[in-house]
Amino acid sequence: MAVKVHIHATHRQYTNGLEVVPVEGNTVGQCLSNLVNQFPGMEKALFAKKDKLLNVVEIYINHTTAHPNELSRSVNDGDDIHLLVMLAGG
Amino acid sequence: MLTSREQERYDRQIMIGEIGREGQEKLKRSRVVIAGTGGLGSPIAIYLVAAGIGMIRIIDHDQVVLSNLNRQILHWEEDIGEKKVDSARTKLRKLNSAVEIEAIPETITESNVSTLMDGCEVIVDAMDNLPTRYILNQCAIEKNIPFFHGAVTGFEGRAMTILPGRTACLRCMYRGPVPQEKFPVVGVAPAVIGVIQATEVIKYLLGIGKLLTNRLLIYDGLKISFNEFKVERNPDCDHCGTLMRKD
Repeated sequence: MAVKVHIHATHRQYTNGLEVVPVEGNTVGQCLSNLVNQFPGMEKALFAKKDKLLNVVEIYINHTTAHPNELSRSVNDGDDIHLLVMLAGG
Repeated sequence: MLTSREQERYDRQIMIGEIGREGQEKLKRSRVVIAGTGGLGSPIAIYLVAAGIGMIRIIDHDQVVLSNLNRQILHWEEDIGEKKVDSARTKLRKLNSAVEIEAIPETITESNVSTLMDGCEVIVDAMDNLPTRYILNQCAIEKNIPFFHGAVTGFEGRAMTILPGRTACLRCMYRGPVPQEKFPVVGVAPAVIGVIQATEVIKYLLGIGKLLTNRLLIYDGLKISFNEFKVERNPDCDHCGTLMRKD
């Protein structure tokens, strides 16, 4: 499946400034693995350890939350994955 | 009843069909808690006081320091060293002396939060950290008080409105603790988000419009763009899941 991953502003330093990265995969987890293969710096931006997302990372598929069990969610051709970061300031 | 002075003061918003004199009287009877008087709390308090909310309780344990002044517009150079709630109350009273301001210089904790929220119809999140937001979220769920979330970092912000037991809460997307860090921010970001939160509060109190429920609004100040993301109640949520299971 061809999927577009929308990169959060704070992570674009790891994607050469790209806001959207085309990836391949049948699940969110596969898509993020493909993303990390293309841009290895994204691994530490997204994952605490293998298959464990950082607690600050939020994932949305086609503008709908993928929580919980985000990585096992299936995706379809043309889907959009948005990677957001939880905000804490006020 | 509105006094003649109040009718004159709020004339422009009474003219709005969705508000009218009846709506203005509702605002006058309303009691709101604003948790935090910093970057978010400043615009929230200013616009709710200007709109004529009857009573506003502001809670903040901090004192004003120089590095607050790029964003916390209720506090000025002359206030450095003063308690934020005292500094805020002084300005808010000058803006609208008819609004009752309760200034509480306390830290919000699990043990005092219920008492601090007593007697209010609305809780507004103007905190600067996630752990206290979750304390407020849980209290809002337990006391069935609507909770108006906002948060910022840098040029970015987010907002969501939570109606306990009916819509997704802040905890529904919780995955685990997040490290507390000093956050970068430019004052215009909390200004935008704070005004959105104040708008939501006014809409809720008047029973008008479409609230930001089950919708996470993301603001990108660098692009001046807004994005909406659909969120859903989580039956396993440790704050509101029990209510869902009772449905």
